Amino acid sequence: MFIGGLGDLEKLMLELKKLLGDPVFLGYKRGSTIPVFDEIMGISELPLEISDVQKPGKYEIVEGFRFRHSHSSPKWHLLPPVQVILTISPGYEAIDTGVSEGRRAVLFGVKPCDLKAIAVLDKILLGKHPVYTARRRSIVGVVVEECMEPSATCFCASVNSGPIVESGFDVAYARLDKETLLLKPGSDIGLQVLKSMGLERASSEYIELYKQMVEKAVDSMKRKLPDLEGVQRRLHGLASSQEFWEEISKKCIGCGNCNYVCPTCFCTEFIDRVEADHAERVATWIGCLTYTYGLVAGGHFRKQLYMRYRHYTLHKFLYYPLQTGGLLGCVGCGRCITWCPLGLDLVENLSRVLEVGSVEA
Amino acid sequence: MLKPENPFLLERSLVVGVVDEAPGVKTYTLRLSGSYSAEPGQFNMVYIYGLGEVPLSISSLPSKRGSFTYVEHTARAVGAVTGAILSRVSTGSLVGVRGPYGRGWPLREAEGRDLVVLAGGIGLAPLRPVIKYVESSRGAFGRLNILYGARSPEYLLYKYELEEYARIPNTKLLLSSDTASPNWGYHVGFVTDLIEYIDVDVGDSVVFVCGPEAMMRTSVKKLLNSGFKSDQIYVSLERRMRCGVGVCGTCQLGHYFVCRDGPVFSISELGEYFWIEGI
Repeated sequence: MFIGGLGDLEKLMLELKKLLGDPVFLGYKRGSTIPVFDEIMGISELPLEISDVQKPGKYEIVEGFRFRHSHSSPKWHLLPPVQVILTISPGYEAIDTGVSEGRRAVLFGVKPCDLKAIAVLDKILLGKHPVYTARRRSIVGVVVEECMEPSATCFCASVNSGPIVESGFDVAYARLDKETLLLKPGSDIGLQVLKSMGLERASSEYIELYKQMVEKAVDSMKRKLPDLEGVQRRLHGLASSQEFWEEISKKCIGCGNCNYVCPTCFCTEFIDRVEADHAERVATWIGCLTYTYGLVAGGHFRKQLYMRYRHYTLHKFLYYPLQTGGLLGCVGCGRCITWCPLGLDLVENLSRVLEVGSVEA
Repeated sequence: MLKPENPFLLERSLVVGVVDEAPGVKTYTLRLSGSYSAEPGQFNMVYIYGLGEVPLSISSLPSKRGSFTYVEHTARAVGAVTGAILSRVSTGSLVGVRGPYGRGWPLREAEGRDLVVLAGGIGLAPLRPVIKYVESSRGAFGRLNILYGARSPEYLLYKYELEEYARIPNTKLLLSSDTASPNWGYHVGFVTDLIEYIDVDVGDSVVFVCGPEAMMRTSVKKLLNSGFKSDQIYVSLERRMRCGVGVCGTCQLGHYFVCRDGPVFSISELGEYFWIEGI
């Protein structure tokens, strides 16, 4: 591990640029309001001098140096809200196949939970979804910012998604204080880059401080799933209990915010955008909490809101693991709690599962 | 970095024939490239310019003539796209097609055994290729029972050939109409009533069911009560489907993507997903 200052992020970017063939950089871009995942032109565009304050149903940007994330996530780039998948003529000739090679890109300053979410999306979409596949394969480097102070809605430690990373990145850094970074390599490229930056090796004091901060970060996450396996077992038993799901979803208004901010939600709807001489086939996000999810001409497969809330919950905790070879669909980022207009709390609901659910093997 | 293939490309297809089946229901013959092939129970996504795509099961065995393959789709006008198909598409029209998708009926597994085909209303469409297939490989299967019903005789599909199914060797054809009607010489009542007249070796047979979800649930209950095991009973499911390749997520049923893992499932594979409403 190496020790550096905030200014070294600029050097890190330059080194990566040199080594990886002039990629674009994608990260949380600080705008006039809330940072959004987008192309960044330099370190000055990163949200390094702000913090977010997150609570159920509340999000605020204040001065500080602990930015976790926003409603946005790398999903904005990899599986954008609107994707043109085909342009076609009225005579049914393909005009544009819609899918192009992605531009070489480095993810810069993504969070451990974001990285886990990409691993989940990979299992579902990589090699199958043309837009996702092109964009994912164009990612040539990953820099992670670890979380030394989680927000009040974070629970990544309960679902093994953070607050630090062990693999799947090139360089990770943790902000020990406003100015001091602890940097660690996660790949040969990462090590090469850190060495060429001329950074000092971190002393044992710094490493000890880092470990203490990580421990404190984990402990500070008040929101916890105490017993994940227990929750999963009980969810199995509760699948058919209409009463339970009606009770637990009674605050939900079916707006789908949780779906759109969730970094692993991937459901899309296809629509036609018709122009004078061609039509674009467009994939747009659709949330499973919204009424149209499950609606077909002549019927509805999830007509009641409790059914859709149940699908959302069971998908994240029971079905994703079956679809991905073991990964949960929840990375503990807490976005669904923060961005729910009613502040509906997934973790609280899962704790209820533990209270009321009967155990079924 | 290779540009990935786009699974959403559409083949331009000429409609070469249309048959009126029932009120609001027609069968279309589509001409596709000669390389196209499909298994009974699979489906295509059919695209109408400017409106969108619908999943339609393939209701014939694909037939090769010259350098083309021809398939049939039976469509009922229920929504915007199927409404447009019924009102606008005729012989000489173009449509977009991609497919085939999904896992069809397990005909290999059914070989050497008796087979029950149980359909309600438009549910016969994905099962018609099964009947045609058994007819063309008659020696490979045991007894064939076809149980088919609709709300009234005029809603039965394939009336021009339906009664010929009874002449397939070693085949029993049982028809029903929910309501009485003049000149109706078959059962009056639900198609599920016919289950008690099934004449196969229950222990060595498979059952393929397709129809409205309520009809399929009643059918499966009765079949289980009649001694069929859950791994002998297969159903073809409908869901909101947009991509056909398991990436849009809208057809999920439990952990399955119905478009890719189905649409045909055995009852044992579905487990409780089959019985819990809206899961």
